[in-house]
Amino acid sequence: MAAIEVEKLSKTFRVPEKDEGLWGSVKALFHRRFRNTTAVSEVSFSIEEGELVGFLGANGAGKTTTLKMLSGLLHPTEGRASVLGHVPWRREAEFQKRFSLVMGYRSQLWWEIPAQETFRLNQEIYEIPEAEYRRNLDELVDLLDLSDCLSVPVKKLSLGQRMKAELAAAILHKPKLLLLDEPTLGLDVVMQKRLRLFILDYNKRNNATVLLTSHNMEDVVELCRRILIIDHGKLLYDGPLRQVVEKYAPLKVIRVDFREAVSAADLEPVGRVTESSELRAVVEVPRAEVSARAAKLLSKFPVSDLTIDETPIQDVVRRIFASGET
Amino acid sequence: MIAKFLRIWTRMAVMSFGAQLSYGIGSFGFLAGKLIRLFFFFAYIVAIFSHTKSLAGYTLAETVLFFLTYNVVDITAQVFFRGIYGARRAVQDGDLDYYLIQPCPPLIRLAASTVDFLDLVTLVPVLALLAATWTKLPGIGLAEIAGYCLLVLNGVLIALAVHIIVAALAVRTQELENTIWIYRELMFLGRFPVDIYGGALKIVLTVFLPIGVMTSFPAKALLGLLSPAEGVYALGVAAASLSFSLWFWRDALSRYTSVSS
Amino acid sequence: MRKYLYVFGLSLQNVLQRRATLVMDRVGGLAAILALYYFWEAILQGKDEFLGYSRSQMLTYVLLMNVMRSFVFTGRGWELVQEIAHGRISSYLLRPLSYQGYSLSLDLAQKTIHLASALLELVVLVALFHAPVYVPARAETWTLFAVAVAASSLLFFFLEFLVSCLAFWTSESGGPLFCFELFLNFAAGSFFPIDVLPRMLQELLRATPFPYLVFFPINIYLERVSGPEAFRLLAIELGWLAAAWAGTQVIWRRGLAVYAAEGG
Repeated sequence: MAAIEVEKLSKTFRVPEKDEGLWGSVKALFHRRFRNTTAVSEVSFSIEEGELVGFLGANGAGKTTTLKMLSGLLHPTEGRASVLGHVPWRREAEFQKRFSLVMGYRSQLWWEIPAQETFRLNQEIYEIPEAEYRRNLDELVDLLDLSDCLSVPVKKLSLGQRMKAELAAAILHKPKLLLLDEPTLGLDVVMQKRLRLFILDYNKRNNATVLLTSHNMEDVVELCRRILIIDHGKLLYDGPLRQVVEKYAPLKVIRVDFREAVSAADLEPVGRVTESSELRAVVEVPRAEVSARAAKLLSKFPVSDLTIDETPIQDVVRRIFASGET
Repeated sequence: MIAKFLRIWTRMAVMSFGAQLSYGIGSFGFLAGKLIRLFFFFAYIVAIFSHTKSLAGYTLAETVLFFLTYNVVDITAQVFFRGIYGARRAVQDGDLDYYLIQPCPPLIRLAASTVDFLDLVTLVPVLALLAATWTKLPGIGLAEIAGYCLLVLNGVLIALAVHIIVAALAVRTQELENTIWIYRELMFLGRFPVDIYGGALKIVLTVFLPIGVMTSFPAKALLGLLSPAEGVYALGVAAASLSFSLWFWRDALSRYTSVSS
Repeated sequence: MRKYLYVFGLSLQNVLQRRATLVMDRVGGLAAILALYYFWEAILQGKDEFLGYSRSQMLTYVLLMNVMRSFVFTGRGWELVQEIAHGRISSYLLRPLSYQGYSLSLDLAQKTIHLASALLELVVLVALFHAPVYVPARAETWTLFAVAVAASSLLFFFLEFLVSCLAFWTSESGGPLFCFELFLNFAAGSFFPIDVLPRMLQELLRATPFPYLVFFPINIYLERVSGPEAFRLLAIELGWLAAAWAGTQVIWRRGLAVYAAEGG
């Protein structure tokens, strides 16, 4: 059974235009003028149980709005969605106990008191039996290395520690579905890596479905085999990450170091020269011919070193948004 | 179900107490201010009665009963519903997002997010004075006492409805945080027996802004001055205002548009 | 002087722009006046006078309370406390501007608007209640009343400033001010005239500056004090004003020293 099924989901925000001040607000209660803005437009996709899917898009593309509809925060204007077999915006307790939403830019932990207090509160809210709570907490403390952070007021934690505690609070009840909105926002590289490993591990161990948005391409490249790309509220791409790279990055990049100076003009027969100084150059070549062209370089020029790279995924995605089509 | 909500409420209340403690006794001045207001008001009423016999037919003890009953209803509502004042902040900070995706009614989360323990302290002298006033009143039967307690609770429920409506307004408009303060100020009218107010105002306070029903009806019931019809009317007002407020709240949530990051 | 006039003008606009807060303040004041007006009407039922107040004097006292509170009880205390707590005071000290002069200009703008609104409300309330308004019989009463009100308005400003300056020393920022303002409502006679209190308590209050804020000016208006007695009390009020001003200067300087020592 699919964990998430979305059909022609649309969300149009009616943005009230009102006069300022209390009187304006009172007037606006009875007579309002609106401007419509479409955040999500006829989006359809389906995610199987246990999949780990990346959700990409520029700021304001509609990622967060979609996640908020899937978690039941927002009612869609049109369309259907079924998440873990429930209609999310009915906000049924049975549904709410089986998923979790983590927003990297927000916190559910109480600022002034230790994180374990919020954990206990979540135990009550999600009705987790004591034994299970203990077991889950111990496991999380172990995996996320939380032991030092539990009894310190949250405001005294570092951003990385807080994010780990945040994640722990969100999955104490072992959700079958994790919706992650920018989970690595603002974290340093080491902490990002650690969090990614944890998410991957959680997904494998519990066969949990994970849908994550991120500005950080490393997150997507390391975690997700499948991605969804959304732009201006429309779904542009749904498929394997690999295929996107092949489709939108038809070129590979060869970096060469030379023993003696080589001019850019001499290199033109090999491929398009994008960078060149006397002893070093970067050449773009068609994907299919990469080995032939590399051989040519090695035989015709005084090469001291040579590497072949993929176009960085950031550039690929930027290119997709720029073209605005699949 | 109720047991679960009670456990969540208790835990949040304890947490909110911990959070308040972390700010030190920063609000001691506020507590002292509230006690000053209570005692001075009380003192003035007593002082004025040393020069007169009655207020609209009520004796000193009876007038004091009205004043103290107002305080019981008002303070109880303050203690338990204080967190609802924060609805706009919860919308703005995104806390409401978390309340909405978790299996516990968001109103309970809102209300329990701040429990005003300091106000609980102000309830102590009010109850003590109430007990002292009790002895000054002519013999009161069990039925009157039961009616009093029921109508005090009824008044608190009407206050709850007002708070829910204000919270719903905050969710719908993401502003109007001042509305609750207008309510707080209007409650001043509840300090005196509703019977002193002139025709039109008395009707307004009984029907449209049922402050009189909240604060005066319990005291009148205790004094045996409330007809059964009026009692039923009071319960009806609470039931109607609560149902309306809950409908309004649900409607506001269905239009909720979460703030963007 | 011109810069303070400019601040005054800007602040007028600012108060008018924050209409929600203004409306709320006004509604709040009105609720209290309504309640107290009916309260005294009920007390006076079938009586011609109460404690030497005629019916029209007592009801006029209540109606004037709203005007007095609008003109006297608007300070800059809360803003000052906030600015001390958030360390924003230093930004004022760098400018060629007296903070108190600046603050007073802002306050005068508030007072102007609240007074205008209060006078409008007074007309409406009088029309609504057919209230028996007491009008002073002697022309000089108006002058005395105006001087007393102006002095009490300044007295409140400096007293509140003094209490707000406590924030330099205590971490508990708003508490003392909240306490003080609630206490003032009773001690100044802005809920009830203080002569209903037992003699002992009255004497105690009369030895403080507080009754000069509301109770004394209204009594001048109602011509319950006049002649030499009025001048004597006015002199005492001005004495309190001078003392409050002097106290403010000292506390302000000491507070700034503490503030600077802690690095703002």
